[in-house]
Amino acid sequence: MVKHLFKLIWNKRRHNFLFLSEILVSFLVIFAVFSFLVYYYMNYRKPMGLAYDRVWSVNYNSNQQSKNMDSLVIFYEDLQKALKSMPMVEAVSYTSNNFPYSSGIMTTGLSPAGKKVYNVNNYMVGDDYNKVWKMTLLEGRWFNPEDKVARNKAIIINESLRKEIFGKAPAIGKSVGDYEDKGKLKIIGVVQDFKANGDFWPAGYALFSPLDSGYLKHTNVLLVKVRPEADAGFESSLYKFMASRLKNSSIEIQHLSEMRDAKNEQTIIPMLIFMIIASFLIINVALGLFGVLWYNINQRRGEIGLRRALGASGNSVSGQLISESLILATMSLAVGCFFALQFPIMNVFNVPSIVYVIAIFLSIAFIYVLVFVCALYPGKQAAAIHPAVALHEE
Amino acid sequence: MIRLQNIEKVYRTDTVETLAVNGISLDIAKGEFLSIMGPSGCGKSTLLNIMGLLDEPSRGTIRIAGQDVSSFSDQRLARFRNEQLGFIFQSYHLINDLQVLDNVELPLLYRSSSARERRDLAAEALEKVGLSNRLKHFPSQLSGGQRQRVAIARAIVGKPQIILADEPTGNLDSAMGNEIMDILINLNRNDGTTVVMVTHDENMANKTHRLVRLFDGSQVQ
Amino acid sequence: MKVMLRNYFKIAIAVLKRRKFFTFISLFGISFTLTILMVGTAFLDKVISPDYPDYKRERSLYVGSMELQNSKEGWLNRSNVSFYFFDHYVSRLKSVEKIGISSYSKASNAYINNKKIVISYKYTNADYWRVLEYRFLEGKPYAEQQILHAERVAVISKAIKKAYFGDVSSVVGQYISADEVNYRVIGVVDNVAKTMRNFAGDMFLPYTVSKENYKKPDLMGSYSAVLLARSKADVPKMKLEFDQMMKKVPIGNKEFDRLYCNADYFFASMTRGITGDGKDSGITKAVSVLVALVILFLLLPTINLVNINITRIMERSSEIGVRKAFGASSRTLVYQFIVENMILTFLGGLLGLFFSALMIYFFNSWNLMDGVRLSLNFSVLMYSFLACVFFGLISGVYPAWRMSRLNVVKALKAQ
Repeated sequence: MVKHLFKLIWNKRRHNFLFLSEILVSFLVIFAVFSFLVYYYMNYRKPMGLAYDRVWSVNYNSNQQSKNMDSLVIFYEDLQKALKSMPMVEAVSYTSNNFPYSSGIMTTGLSPAGKKVYNVNNYMVGDDYNKVWKMTLLEGRWFNPEDKVARNKAIIINESLRKEIFGKAPAIGKSVGDYEDKGKLKIIGVVQDFKANGDFWPAGYALFSPLDSGYLKHTNVLLVKVRPEADAGFESSLYKFMASRLKNSSIEIQHLSEMRDAKNEQTIIPMLIFMIIASFLIINVALGLFGVLWYNINQRRGEIGLRRALGASGNSVSGQLISESLILATMSLAVGCFFALQFPIMNVFNVPSIVYVIAIFLSIAFIYVLVFVCALYPGKQAAAIHPAVALHEE
Repeated sequence: MIRLQNIEKVYRTDTVETLAVNGISLDIAKGEFLSIMGPSGCGKSTLLNIMGLLDEPSRGTIRIAGQDVSSFSDQRLARFRNEQLGFIFQSYHLINDLQVLDNVELPLLYRSSSARERRDLAAEALEKVGLSNRLKHFPSQLSGGQRQRVAIARAIVGKPQIILADEPTGNLDSAMGNEIMDILINLNRNDGTTVVMVTHDENMANKTHRLVRLFDGSQVQ
Repeated sequence: MKVMLRNYFKIAIAVLKRRKFFTFISLFGISFTLTILMVGTAFLDKVISPDYPDYKRERSLYVGSMELQNSKEGWLNRSNVSFYFFDHYVSRLKSVEKIGISSYSKASNAYINNKKIVISYKYTNADYWRVLEYRFLEGKPYAEQQILHAERVAVISKAIKKAYFGDVSSVVGQYISADEVNYRVIGVVDNVAKTMRNFAGDMFLPYTVSKENYKKPDLMGSYSAVLLARSKADVPKMKLEFDQMMKKVPIGNKEFDRLYCNADYFFASMTRGITGDGKDSGITKAVSVLVALVILFLLLPTINLVNINITRIMERSSEIGVRKAFGASSRTLVYQFIVENMILTFLGGLLGLFFSALMIYFFNSWNLMDGVRLSLNFSVLMYSFLACVFFGLISGVYPAWRMSRLNVVKALKAQ
């Protein structure tokens, strides 16, 4: 029977061309939507990797202070000590501009044995950085004071970077070349991946290096982890404190949880709009398919009446119509898959292939369900055609 | 073979009630070739539809091959039609998008049979109607007479006991019409198939065993 | 001719009424597609058209970024412009009537009643208030005198007035504190929508009170400017003079060998930041991406509509066959069909208009985007009308062509 239907449809392919192209384009649209959804969902499921709650960032102007390096170091050390001693403060750390959830970006590259790895987020971190973020160390340790003066600069990398360079092997104690492959960097620790760009984006590659005093001249962010009891009153006094210590500087305090929400919104809102538009498009298509199928039945009343006369039951006839529609859908989906498969094969946009593969399966299922539903009612109509009437309509 | 008793068929719309068939009783023996004649609107097609189980009578009973089919479910009727009946229509009702061989195979698709069986039976049927050299053609490439022959092949491919023909020569010229009649007569004579034919043509009707005339839903001869 | 059109019209309506389901599907598809297009156009219009407070757009050029390039190594450094650049170079241009200079917004925090308020503030010059047309609900802007003396005065927005001072009728003369500095309020302006990113702010201060050194002879800094010409006709002259001046500006930094800074028309100044760079305003890229997106979006509904139209035609093929047999020429039938399609498209357009008006009403009353109010003004309607026509034609041409080729005899034989 299936072969028979195939023959029927193949012979009518020109007639069905528009139906096929509609299914094809719908599939591609749905594939795009599902690719996004699967990608975001897979990233969402990965662990956060850092504790952002109760963390505040304090921005100040760094270029107002005295030029003498030593006095600068003492100044900033004193500042950090004073903050740490506040009862509401749990931990304080200096950081480069590009801390998680910030809009700052600083990237570099590495040169491990003959390869080059680009787009590595380069975090310069102060002493108590991990007391603020509480990232999980998978190997090794965090920085200690000796690392700042070691001959080979010590760095800590994240899971993804370790996988890229060393595969499954541990990274502790190994050295890699820096961006220009001039100096050697020694890996002393590996942290679990953390999602620095919000919940929906992958962790990427990250490396941490200790902030040395030379960098203090340019540093203009402090990260403060506060106790649960800290409120706007405390924030206000923190603000006043910073302003009194750093004269001629504008101070801005932001909550990391709010910054994270802002980042997430940047992903969620366009996605929502995209999905709303896509669903309306699909409703449009569904109605169109429904109409075309319904019309199809009217055209083939004679054929349907004939088949009934020859021994097809009512269910067989509606089954036939639904099967025909599904076969047509299959023909379109085959072409669609050919295009869609290019994505995982060529790793487009550097997205892992599994995302595209899952999206393809989901889209295929979606299209089949769509076509099935659209063919259901017309199929029932077909079964209800009275053969005696249909055969004598002329 | 076919026994109709007091068959009545009423068509109801919102405003009008039409009595298409009015109390007809008919016995058709096995192997008989019966013609039904009458002016337009006299109910002959309706009667044929009822005999072919395509329509239900408002009143009366039908027995075919000894079975009372009035109480059959839709599924059972379908199977019965498939196995026992063959249909031929005035306008052929071939599927234009299928080749000749596929058209003839159609009834067998609703039975369980293998592709090879279907192919062989269809080829056999086409040989009986003299169209073995046109297997791969489409209906649109055939003449009217050839199309009707394909339709006949389709009607007999499943070796049914009864063939119901509704004005089979209505769209054909006299030469082709005669050819078709000859095929039908041969089927009836050689294979013992019961044939019931509705026709306008007196000449054709005279070639058959029995003639029944209808007028306004009732039998008049 | 008029009688024929009326006839076409009457028949078209009758046909559409006869097949209600098809008409419904077509109307749904068209109206929905056009609604999305219209709301999108309203957004685009809002962003591109002159709006509060930038009303003098047609005689303005915008300078927003300075770019230094090292063409051999490929690095570049891009940021806003320094105050020095505007003060020293641009103010000397003869065709520039006035320059309105402002810094990009920075945020500072204020803590009132145990609540935190974020105040975004900008430093401006005196002419800023003459180039742009802010609505002063109270008070007035600062002028050259106050700037000269670096007086700590501020113009604040209506929103910040409410958040900081509460429901007070007048705040002129009162003090607002930010970054531990007290500023005396001398004016209150009406809120600017977030979409006017360059001109939106909670607090405006004279640039002389800025803690940064605005006198530093750098080219890069944190300012941007609006250059006002004397008339619309003078704008090209102004652009030319600016470009010629740029050729003579020394780079002052050995690491770079190229310098780019542009005085753009408004649209170009927007696209430069998104798809362009120092050399290329990025207009072509931005426009082509936009057009491509619109076409892609229209693809599915158009195919759908073409499909439905063909179905409608085929369904009436016997009717068409009869008409042809009785003497109607192919042309007549095609016109008939096109009129039908146009009616359908316009009905769909009207529905689309109604739905977009509804969506915009809800968007505005629910304040989905802070301070942004959309409207269906004339230009939006014009574009929508064009989209309607375009859509109607595209979805009608192919089916109409198919219909005109319908063979009479085949059509009459229908089955």
